[in-house]
Amino acid sequence: MSIEVSGGRRGLTDPVLAAEIMAAIPDQPLETQRKMNYFMTPRGKRINEYEVLCCYSQPTPDWIPGGLDWGDWTQKFHGGRPSWSNESTEMRSSDWLKHRDPAFRWHALYVKDKAEEWRYTDRFLKAYSADGHVRSMDPVWRDEVLGDYLGAFGFSEYGLFNSHSSVVRDCLGDTLRMSSAMIGLDKVDNAQMIQMERTFLAKLVPGFPEATDIPKNEWTKGVIFKGSREVVQQIWQETYDWNEILFSGHMIYDPLFGQFVRREFFSRLSSYYGDTLTPFFINQMQLYFSQTKGITTDMFHTCLAADEQFGAYNIRLMHTWADKWLPRTITALKDFMGIFAKIPEIKGVSDKPAIEAALNRVFDDWKHDFADPIGYKADTAALVKTVLSGLK
Amino acid sequence: MAISAATKAATDALAVNRAPVSVGAQEVHRWMQSFTWDFEKNRTKYSTKYKMANDTKEQFKLIAKEYARMESVKDERQFGSLQDVLTRVDAANRVHPKWNESMKVISNFLEVGEYNAIAGTGMLWDSATAPEQKNGYLGQVLDEIRHTNQCGYVNYYFAKQGQDAAGHNDARRTRAIGPLWKGMKRVFSDGFISGDAVECSINLQLVGEACFTNPLIVAVTEWACANGDEMTPTVFLSIETDELRHMANGYQTVVSIANDAAASKYLNTDLNNAFWTQQKYFTPVLGMMFEYGSHFKVEPWVKTWNRWVYEDWGGIWIGRLGKYGVQSPASLRDAKKDAYWAHHDLFLLAYALWPTGFFRLSLPTAQEAEWYEANYPGWYDMYGKVYDEWRARGCEDPNSGFLPLQWFIENNHPIYIDRVSQVPFCPSYCKGASTLRVLEFNGKKHSFSDQWGERMWLSEPERYECQNIFEQYEGRELSEVIAEGHGLRSDGKTLISQPHTNKDGKLWTLDDIKKINCVFSDPLKAL
Repeated sequence: MSIEVSGGRRGLTDPVLAAEIMAAIPDQPLETQRKMNYFMTPRGKRINEYEVLCCYSQPTPDWIPGGLDWGDWTQKFHGGRPSWSNESTEMRSSDWLKHRDPAFRWHALYVKDKAEEWRYTDRFLKAYSADGHVRSMDPVWRDEVLGDYLGAFGFSEYGLFNSHSSVVRDCLGDTLRMSSAMIGLDKVDNAQMIQMERTFLAKLVPGFPEATDIPKNEWTKGVIFKGSREVVQQIWQETYDWNEILFSGHMIYDPLFGQFVRREFFSRLSSYYGDTLTPFFINQMQLYFSQTKGITTDMFHTCLAADEQFGAYNIRLMHTWADKWLPRTITALKDFMGIFAKIPEIKGVSDKPAIEAALNRVFDDWKHDFADPIGYKADTAALVKTVLSGLK
Repeated sequence: MAISAATKAATDALAVNRAPVSVGAQEVHRWMQSFTWDFEKNRTKYSTKYKMANDTKEQFKLIAKEYARMESVKDERQFGSLQDVLTRVDAANRVHPKWNESMKVISNFLEVGEYNAIAGTGMLWDSATAPEQKNGYLGQVLDEIRHTNQCGYVNYYFAKQGQDAAGHNDARRTRAIGPLWKGMKRVFSDGFISGDAVECSINLQLVGEACFTNPLIVAVTEWACANGDEMTPTVFLSIETDELRHMANGYQTVVSIANDAAASKYLNTDLNNAFWTQQKYFTPVLGMMFEYGSHFKVEPWVKTWNRWVYEDWGGIWIGRLGKYGVQSPASLRDAKKDAYWAHHDLFLLAYALWPTGFFRLSLPTAQEAEWYEANYPGWYDMYGKVYDEWRARGCEDPNSGFLPLQWFIENNHPIYIDRVSQVPFCPSYCKGASTLRVLEFNGKKHSFSDQWGERMWLSEPERYECQNIFEQYEGRELSEVIAEGHGLRSDGKTLISQPHTNKDGKLWTLDDIKKINCVFSDPLKAL
């Protein structure tokens, strides 16, 4: 028969082609090692599917620790700067490919989760509106706090999202790159969910402004978000070291400022103002925060701080970065305290003792989850006191 | 706090409004362009000589959650097919052995392109100023992670279920040994991530994706099907559904710079360089993988190339961009010549260097030789008779002590590596357009095979300093190089690569190679 086949004939189903193919196939498999990436060291007992599909896809040479390739880059930047280089970060690692997302999410698992969240969001919004829930919402909370200040917080999330672009370009590992892209997408998802809530309210509440100009004005010109805007801009555009971007954003700013704003302000207070809508969205953001925390603590604690060769140096550098970014974040929180003058005070909820208790929860969590594992000493009581001085 | 009259009126109206409503993705997306704000130091970390416009729109208008929904649906179909019906019919063991070998290379090398495109589109996300344009690039970042995982899945599937797992199971470790790797890195890795951000977009989206993914991801599925492989079409066509958005991103990149004065100065030069960069590797390598890596042939590569590259891309796609001043690359005409013979020239060299691969290669059978001669008149006199000679000298038999590389040495046909593309060429024995050009710079010699690459190097030699395999391996014995590069099967002695796919043929071992005592030399040193 002719070896040129046309008309879409398929070797699997066409009996003539299939017979010829089967005749050429060895009687026994030629290789007994069937596990892809069998040469690698798994994080757990066995190589899992995430490790098979992600690990060692980074084609760096062996002079970038962890790489399996050799030699130089085949094309460099204008002027000769290399495609990827150890100089892109002050952190040092004996293996840049060591990081693992603790949830072992490769792309399919990641989008499956988010797709479910989207479907559930759609069902929830329909049920919420059909139930007339929005009638119970305090109108000042709704129109001023959600309309203006939640909207303004969306810019913080959007700016942090953008800080991941250069990390995705520059970082030195495959699992690092994939994790960074995913936690970046979660941040823009947060910004979009905030706008989604505002658009939803505009559909339910006649005259509720869904446009972004008022919150943007609050974000760019107001005093409540002044400090946070400056930190976000510095992380996004003034920081070139990709590890410092991740550290400042996810180990300092977001666990303190982001957690207070999301969990202790919008989520905690909303129920007191009859708002059961905002916690629905904030809880998704908190899920992303939790997943991101797993990722970034694996990067900085499990991999870099515990690196046998460079751990001590890396911890010193993390302390230096914490010294740099913590005061800025404290200023952001202090400025945010101004928001309490904009809402009706509820005793035991939004008065000073309640705010102090909320701040203590955030700072205690941060100390336990982020500072203690790298031996970073911070006087959280003094920090809380400084933040509280921003109350009007 | 007092409630305003407007707020009270709105609140009162709620009593009668209890219709079930939700919010669609487009209702969120329409605000996206206003998500950013101006501030003093808002600029990209990756310089470009072009100015990307602040108001550039994207075409597909996805938000994060809608993106996830769309991809998740596609994943369900794809992985459902692979894990259910294709596994039940034992599909991986019904693929022609030659094609099984080709997929070791095609899937892994495509994975490298997809992986580097994560970083490349990360750079574009950073460079764009318009939030919608950033959003388009962001979607592509996530897509490229998807595609990296998908390509890995093809090798994973073949390794787990197929007839020869070696090479599928460790491609990420062994791929760096051979002569095809560095050239692949130029087009699929560094070309996407190192340079002016817009230049990288042109390489990745305007040429790599809009031009070469059509043969690489679409045409390849026809070849796969013909040779019994239904896994590759299942995965690759799912990949291709995302590529449309990537091509649109490339289009929007051009739209975003169309009004910038720099575009009229540089855009066509950058496009020409990008096209030559990509075609220099893909034209011969894809043609070689299709024609020499298959048993059943779909059509001559030159026809596929002409349809996808010359007519569809060079004519229609670039034609659409004509209103923005974009012209078909000047090098397209030379590339068209390469499409006829370059893959035959390359296979001759690839087969000669077979022990450095992570896959098995096969000499053309008599039936195939007839097909080549019918479609490429003059093929036998140039290539067929050489293969007959190699076969007669026992090149497939480990006891013969003959490696085809020796034939090139005996006949004084040195093999060089083009410094810019890293593609090997033999100027004294080829039918393609390769000609030897040697230049000296900083005490080091550099060989080139064409004027377009030579021009790129002359403009910016500091971008193309990478040593080639002959410089790297000079003075080293072949079996040492193979062992060091992990080119062995799990028994620790049999080579992954082999010069045949005969089911009853003997397999070469490291000792067979060692006995030949083949030592690498750098041909540039002899000049």
